[in-house]
Amino acid sequence: MRPPRTAAPHRRTFALRPSRTPSARLRRTGYLFTLPGLAFLALFLAYPLLYNAWTSVHDVGLSGLLGGATRFNGLANYRATVSDPDFWHAARLSVVFTVGSLLFQFTIGFALALLFARPFPLNGLLRSLLLVAWLLPPVVSGTLFRWMLDGESGAYNALLRAIGPDTLARDWLIDPGTSLAGVVFANVWVGVPFNMLLLLVGLHTIDPELHEAAAIDGAGAWQRFRWITLPLIRPVSVTVLLLGLVYTFKVFDLIFVMTGGGPVDATTVLSLYVYEVFFRFFRFGEGAAAGLLLLVVPLLAGIGYVRRLRREEREESAV
Amino acid sequence: MPSTLDRRACDRRTFLRAAGAGAAALGTAGALASCGNSETTEAAGKRKQGRGETTTLTWWDYFTLENFQPGMRALIEDIEAGVPDVRIRRRTFPFADLERQITLGAVSGDLPDIAIVDNVSMNSLGGSDLLADLTERVEEWGQADQYYEGPWAGCQVDGKTLGIPNNSNCLALYYNTEILRSANVEPPTTWDELAAAAQRLTSGNRFGLAMSAIRTEEGVFQFLPFLWQTGGDLDTFATDGETALAFLDDLVAKGSLSEQCVGWTQQDVNTRFIDGRAAMQINGPWQIPTLEKATDLEWSVVALPRDKESATCLGGENWVVMASSEKQDKAWEVLEYTQRRSVLVPYLESFGNLPSRKDLADAGTWASEPAKRLFLDQLSLARPRTYGPGYPDISRAVADAEQAVLTDSAAPSAAARTAAGKIDEALERR
Repeated sequence: MRPPRTAAPHRRTFALRPSRTPSARLRRTGYLFTLPGLAFLALFLAYPLLYNAWTSVHDVGLSGLLGGATRFNGLANYRATVSDPDFWHAARLSVVFTVGSLLFQFTIGFALALLFARPFPLNGLLRSLLLVAWLLPPVVSGTLFRWMLDGESGAYNALLRAIGPDTLARDWLIDPGTSLAGVVFANVWVGVPFNMLLLLVGLHTIDPELHEAAAIDGAGAWQRFRWITLPLIRPVSVTVLLLGLVYTFKVFDLIFVMTGGGPVDATTVLSLYVYEVFFRFFRFGEGAAAGLLLLVVPLLAGIGYVRRLRREEREESAV
Repeated sequence: MPSTLDRRACDRRTFLRAAGAGAAALGTAGALASCGNSETTEAAGKRKQGRGETTTLTWWDYFTLENFQPGMRALIEDIEAGVPDVRIRRRTFPFADLERQITLGAVSGDLPDIAIVDNVSMNSLGGSDLLADLTERVEEWGQADQYYEGPWAGCQVDGKTLGIPNNSNCLALYYNTEILRSANVEPPTTWDELAAAAQRLTSGNRFGLAMSAIRTEEGVFQFLPFLWQTGGDLDTFATDGETALAFLDDLVAKGSLSEQCVGWTQQDVNTRFIDGRAAMQINGPWQIPTLEKATDLEWSVVALPRDKESATCLGGENWVVMASSEKQDKAWEVLEYTQRRSVLVPYLESFGNLPSRKDLADAGTWASEPAKRLFLDQLSLARPRTYGPGYPDISRAVADAEQAVLTDSAAPSAAARTAAGKIDEALERR
């Protein structure tokens, strides 16, 4: 028999607020401490972004690169990009890829989090092993999946042939109908541990007393899940999904390694599209424009995320 | 003397600019890749001491495969011994990365002095002011007429000489003599014979024919001969492209050519041929050294089967000097040195390459070995891909058409029409 829990209920700690009136000198010193951070941002974020924005309103081709013979052309690059059917095709694929990845990553990650929230032997070890998928460089996981999904010698086809009719086996990445599913499959595998880990942390913040109280009141497992776990995990879920959206929308390396965007353009998501405009067709201006447009979705998600964080903080400090 | 420090600085610059040039949205994959894969001859310990100032020339190429390394090392040692006071610092990139690397370098200012580029790159690099104009030097040198017409023409852009052919190659049909003999099949010489032979040679996990239809220039290089063999060219793609696509589609439909070829590089194709998983393959002479190592494999090679015409695609590389280089005189000296008979013949032999120079036709192994002789003879039919600055778009349109047809997502007629529209538009940009 387990002893009754007496541990204090989990309480979130509050951030210490700086005292209201530091001396002017102290404040100046404080700003000094932000310098390394600001320099880093300027060098690695602001400069490339501004450079990119500059490129996106100029006519930059291979010939203009050296002589500097670039011409300001206003929004022509943007117009060319949004009137390119391939751009919209890529945008659609990006949406399908992102939604598909997030849906499965989150569901499977949540299921695993629920599993690992319970104590069982080797829990910690198994959990760390699962993290390997998240830690592997995308080039490695991409290559692994490319082999495993290979039509002739891939492990998945061998498995499918073993458990079902031969017609299940196919050239996953060669067939335009399944290649996107193939890369989503790989990306789900990569993303599940990330989802699981954050959701697991979320589950741990739920006060176990709530479950105990509900159980005493006669709530079954499903009811406790539906009326306690789900509502309380919601803020964490939204955060996980927003972060997932940012990561997934710009995935490049995994897809590039697995299919190179093919067959034909079945897996040419926006990031690959931008890459090709740059390095295959050498239309740097258009590539920069498309690159900035590609930023829109993750940026919106990022803003949403930051706003949520702020609101949560406000709500907490109001408590 | 520039040290490794110097290079690290360049790499960081590449990194920054790459990120700036819009790769920002892509994460840093591209930029990081640009930091990989470098090789210098410093390790060889061939440092020359004393006498005069040593000029270090940076040199980029894409010969990453292991079987190329001994020949390349020998060539560089030869250059460092033969050209006074020069050292070569070589850096290699994967085939698909070199041109991208050069364009990145154009932004960051990190460019080599010398590069060996695919001859098809002259389409895009030629109009970019990135390449040094060698016209005067070549005139003074006076050996232009020693080169075959196709390869030499491939180095001329807008009346200027922008490169020197390094080597030339083309495609032909390799076949496994043992498999053909036991199936009682003669090597095909026409499309009909090819289709019939491929079908008869297919059995179990062995396909009759293997070729590369990958969505890069490699795949297009393998496809263009089929287009030309119909008697057409890129400007008649709507009709002749359809004929060529339909022919390949038929091979896939009958199971004689694996649908997987849309993912195969020419290297993959050769591996399948060596494994006996393909009875015939379309490939180039650079595979000969690898094939010769496979001792239990009996193979031979014939010209590509013809339809209305015989045709094959001219491949190979050109030497170029970068316009940004401050050491162009020395770089030219090196180029000139590599073209000497005593240097060029052993270098080309070690690569399994064929010369671009007529005066070497009877010099090396290609003069006596039948397989190489066949490729050399085919060079007279080999057509260069000189279609102007719109070529990258053309190449993509052709690759997409082929992939769409072979993966059954479009009929040959529809795919050819779609591609023809894009091709015509790109051809006009000449």
